[in-house]
Amino acid sequence: MSAGWSLWVMGLIVFNLGITLFLFLWGPRAKIPTLPDGTSGHVWAHGTLREGIRRLPRWWLLFSASMFAVGFVYLALYPGFGNARGMLGWTSRGQLARDVAANNAKLDDAMKDFASYTVEQVAYDPAAQQMGRVLFQDNCAACHGRAGTGNPLLGAPNLTDNDWLYGGDGNAITASIHDGRNGVMPPWASLGEDNVNHLVQYVLSLSGAPHDAAMAAAGKPLFATCAACHGADGKGNQALGAPNLTDHIWLYGGSVADIHRTIHDGRQGHMPAWSPRLSDDQIHVLAAYVYRLSHPADASHP
Amino acid sequence: MAYKHFEAIEKHAGLLGILIAIMVSIGGLAEITPLFMEAHSLKPPPGVLPYDPLRLAGKDVYVREGCYLCHSQMIRALRFETERYGHYSTAAESVYDRPFQWGSKRTGPDLARVGGKYSDQWHRLHLMNPRQLVPPSNMPGYPWLAENKLDAADIQARMRTLRRLGDPYSDADIAGAPAAVKGKTEMDALIAYLQGLGIRNEPLAKNPATPTPASQGGAP
Repeated sequence: MSAGWSLWVMGLIVFNLGITLFLFLWGPRAKIPTLPDGTSGHVWAHGTLREGIRRLPRWWLLFSASMFAVGFVYLALYPGFGNARGMLGWTSRGQLARDVAANNAKLDDAMKDFASYTVEQVAYDPAAQQMGRVLFQDNCAACHGRAGTGNPLLGAPNLTDNDWLYGGDGNAITASIHDGRNGVMPPWASLGEDNVNHLVQYVLSLSGAPHDAAMAAAGKPLFATCAACHGADGKGNQALGAPNLTDHIWLYGGSVADIHRTIHDGRQGHMPAWSPRLSDDQIHVLAAYVYRLSHPADASHP
Repeated sequence: MAYKHFEAIEKHAGLLGILIAIMVSIGGLAEITPLFMEAHSLKPPPGVLPYDPLRLAGKDVYVREGCYLCHSQMIRALRFETERYGHYSTAAESVYDRPFQWGSKRTGPDLARVGGKYSDQWHRLHLMNPRQLVPPSNMPGYPWLAENKLDAADIQARMRTLRRLGDPYSDADIAGAPAAVKGKTEMDALIAYLQGLGIRNEPLAKNPATPTPASQGGAP
């Protein structure tokens, strides 16, 4: 605020507090002319109602006096009187910095502890699980669902089935969260409608799903194009995030229509990068929570 | 000062009303006037540019559909807010928002830094019908946005108006608007707008050299 506006605010405060303080001090002492019957002479309803003169109750005076005291003390300690910073030097940003520091100090020991263990180990720590659950619900549940079971509309993978596009060890999960992932399945509409339909049947045959054998056979030679990413046997490639086509897990749905759309139009799955939105410590804990989703218990952690 | 003056005030309702109005307005004169006047001298921080045509159209869809009635765009300097939404908002971040979208109601979450938090496809499905992604959501669907095509001439007129109000659009910016919104729907525009909210949320590697469009001024 410029000095001029600061003076403007100060002037208004002085005026406002001055006039109310004057009324407060003068009011109880004001000489009010009274009639012999002790009233002010103000009447309503043809004299039925008359205005009496009474002292202000003590509680009211005390209460008002304390209001003034609080007001003056507040203006002295905190910012409010124009540009004056107040004796405490309080700012909302400073308060936030103190709150954050206090919270970090509270979590520091636990976070250091977690960081010294691998994701797989942290996954079985109850405190880390509790923290991870909150982070997951706030940040991941919108796509992967509150239970982590994914959403085929979005191609958000099920995190509970221990089937991984980019690898399921602690480091791979951490990398997926930290940097995000971009799935790039190009559209193959250029192959022509018949060929796409043949490929659909061949892809169905890979996982042993009911399919048209003749069409699948016709699709088999075309799969050479797909093999570049999904592998000649269709088992996928975690380096590229190409899904395994021989299991019964479908990222975007396993119906004929779903697979047709996937091949015809391609799929561009996008997992956002969570750094720097989340700190590395938070990502570590979150990765442990995600790891645990598909490893509810292991031999070393019954 | 004598009692008769107060008797005069007490007995004349018009005078009483005027004096009450003066006293009541002191709070507003002290709190609102200086901020209002100084707001005009606020300079955009580096990296905050006027909305590109598509995002500008999206911002207007956001305002028209009343998104601000449930979503704020102001992260307060309180730990439980910065923890959930990111760095607190600053006034300079919204210099190109007319009107600003700070809001005061949060039926849904704050959106000041939602950009990059979800994929474009997520936003598309969510705007069509939020329940297909977030089962307990009570946000309405906006499927008609996907059918409404943008009108380039209308957006150019808006850019010219904003330029008159002081936004630094160049002639080339305005001339480029039809190409930028060609074939785009209101849904595309709204998603582009939402994905631009909050620079800190954008993947840093994506475009480190170019400053990010409006309202989303870099790390404040």
